[in-house]
Amino acid sequence: MPIDKNQIIEKEKAVVDGIELTADWNRMFEQRVIFDYDTSALDKVTDVANAESMGWCYQCGNCVPVCPVDNVGEYGPRKIFRSLQLGVDLFTSDELWKCTSCAQCLRVCPKEVDMIKIMPAIREEAVLEGDVPEELQEAFTNTFEYGNPMGESQRKRADWVQNAGVEVPVMKDKKAADLLWFVECYPAYHNRGKEASVALAKILDKLQADYGILGTEEKCSCDSQRIAGEVGLFEEFAEENIKTFSKYKFNKILVTDPHALNGLRKEYPKYGGDYDVVHYTTYLAPLLDKLNLTRSLDIKVTFHDPCYLGRHNGEYAAPRNIINALPGVELIEMGRCKEQSYCCGGGGGGMWLDGFMADHVTERLSENRVKEAVETGADVLVVCCPYEVSRFEDAVKSTGNEGKLLVKDIAELIVEAMG
Amino acid sequence: MASENILVIGGGPTGMEAARGIADLGYKAILVEKRDRLGGTPDEAQYAALTPDLRNAEEAIGEMVAAVTDNPNVELLTGTTVTSSEGEVGNFKVKAVQNGSEIEIEAGAVIVATGFQHFDPGRETQKYGYYEHDDVVTLVDAEKLLKSGNFVRPSTGEKPKSVAFIQCVGSRDRQIGNEYCSKVCCGMSSKQAIEIRQHVPDCKVYIFYIDMRMYGYWENEIYWPAQEKYKVNYIKGMATEIIKKGDGLLVKGEDTTLRRPMEIPMDMVILAVGMEPSEGTKVVADIFGLPKNKYNFIETIGGPLNTVSTEKAGIFAAGACTGPADLEDSVSSAGAAAMKAISAIRKIGVPA
Repeated sequence: MPIDKNQIIEKEKAVVDGIELTADWNRMFEQRVIFDYDTSALDKVTDVANAESMGWCYQCGNCVPVCPVDNVGEYGPRKIFRSLQLGVDLFTSDELWKCTSCAQCLRVCPKEVDMIKIMPAIREEAVLEGDVPEELQEAFTNTFEYGNPMGESQRKRADWVQNAGVEVPVMKDKKAADLLWFVECYPAYHNRGKEASVALAKILDKLQADYGILGTEEKCSCDSQRIAGEVGLFEEFAEENIKTFSKYKFNKILVTDPHALNGLRKEYPKYGGDYDVVHYTTYLAPLLDKLNLTRSLDIKVTFHDPCYLGRHNGEYAAPRNIINALPGVELIEMGRCKEQSYCCGGGGGGMWLDGFMADHVTERLSENRVKEAVETGADVLVVCCPYEVSRFEDAVKSTGNEGKLLVKDIAELIVEAMG
Repeated sequence: MASENILVIGGGPTGMEAARGIADLGYKAILVEKRDRLGGTPDEAQYAALTPDLRNAEEAIGEMVAAVTDNPNVELLTGTTVTSSEGEVGNFKVKAVQNGSEIEIEAGAVIVATGFQHFDPGRETQKYGYYEHDDVVTLVDAEKLLKSGNFVRPSTGEKPKSVAFIQCVGSRDRQIGNEYCSKVCCGMSSKQAIEIRQHVPDCKVYIFYIDMRMYGYWENEIYWPAQEKYKVNYIKGMATEIIKKGDGLLVKGEDTTLRRPMEIPMDMVILAVGMEPSEGTKVVADIFGLPKNKYNFIETIGGPLNTVSTEKAGIFAAGACTGPADLEDSVSSAGAAAMKAISAIRKIGVPA
């Protein structure tokens, strides 16, 4: 809770537990007595369309223990509600940017206080006012200018195919295909993401799948930017992508990124783009017998459920079916798995708020998760969301677990097992 | 000579429903009420709207009164107070005073439905200054204000800008002696909070509570709309005292989730007073020799599976004379009492 400047008591000399506090420290005294419950802060939130349910909280506290941010800091819908009751302005508060939209709270909330709707709605207002953390604003600006949050050149969006070792068809040439593979930004640009894309291309090639990518025509799906409050940008990009999709004939959109899955499946229909969208794990799980998976990997693995694949889109089985079909792979589940899975910290704009979050948490969410993965004794942490590889690999290093745990995309493991 | 009439004592919702049930089953009910009109506490205290459905109380209670008025199987004795009783099941002889003259009533069974009274917050505790501050009122006073259609501060006659409810006044209190939860006050407060927001939309309404107790459908029918639709502010923590500040009141208490004291200015405070046995309940219990529990409510002996039988065969108790009860409880137990009273008469084989 931010300190109300009018309530700060400044003392000439302050001694706490025998220690004299000097300089700014002795200004950290707050008025004890609460003089007013200013309802305007809560009203201001619940007056915003889609944020009404913020006022429904009856403070049971179910949400706080499952909130991944509260595990490493101080957060959760109940606490936000309480601070609103006490007059904190969410629109200008740091509290507005800590939510990763992991949907743990909504899963357990008896009143259906829906942070997945509340956060984008309030953040949109803050974005319009320009009250956005600098690093997040940079990701927005990059997306606007370059079509991706990293600020990479649009011309290089399909450069990864040069390393694929197989032909990667482009829709511009094919015009029609069974599958349109929406690669998305991190699998197209990030080093480790590109390696996963190469692996998936090899698998699709082996399956002789009839598919094509959009190549340099593809732009960010923008779903994470939407949740982070850039609704205008999302609308513009959705319309542009839908226009590109409309040039080609295809039956399904295959996505690598669960955030793109969420956006294309649930939000694009609102803008006229209604497609059959499938995550690559869902697509691959029934086709494994065609891949001739004969090479035994002889490893123990654990699996991290992406928030936007699991809780947001209900897919828990497909990645597990794949892992269990890999020869010589033993799956050891983490305690927090499936519906209860922890969050890597990358969703809802978290990907672009690491510096900001560092001021609010004792450790990164990805670090907390990697420690849990290491505890299982697994050799490999298997992921199927492009946000996770980089986040977890960094966390393996920062938690001193280098050499104990590898982080691999599920597609990379499939390719290894293909021999 | 045995009688198959059933005496019902108390003309409130419980007594009226019991009498109606007896009459519907073809037996004769003698309904005794000490006031000169039926309706009981909802009528006497001028309830505006019933909990939880906010139905107009006058209209709803009026229907109950109509059901027993001019009913060939109901003998109405208003202005009548029971004074003594002798006899046993099948053959009670009860004396009463009706408008100054003594009468004798013969009955095979008796249903006591003498109800409750609202806790008087000025009697036991002075901490809320109910007798000192005009703008400190009870749920009962607020109900009257709401019924008048003009919800205003008693001190100024102007609409309040802020109203606080304080829960559990006179209930859950060992010092006062009322250790029980009065069951209805959380719902009543939330219901009135909704009505205040309807009457005075720019008035802020706060409810200070230990824990909100709205079981069953009261949760979704009152508590949730109060918070979600009418934006009533529920603050966990009790107000300990009220002091005068300027033209208004200062509510002092602890915000328990913040672990900090609060001193909140309010235009009006409504004390959520609980239920106690009415004087009539205590007197009638003694007349019939019915054991009372430590709170002076009439003790029933059947536990949770039989809520109306007393230690005396042929004498049943229903509604809020047996403990805190809402209207749903009251009319339900009235039906049970009517059925058991008729059963008692039939078992001893009264000739038709």
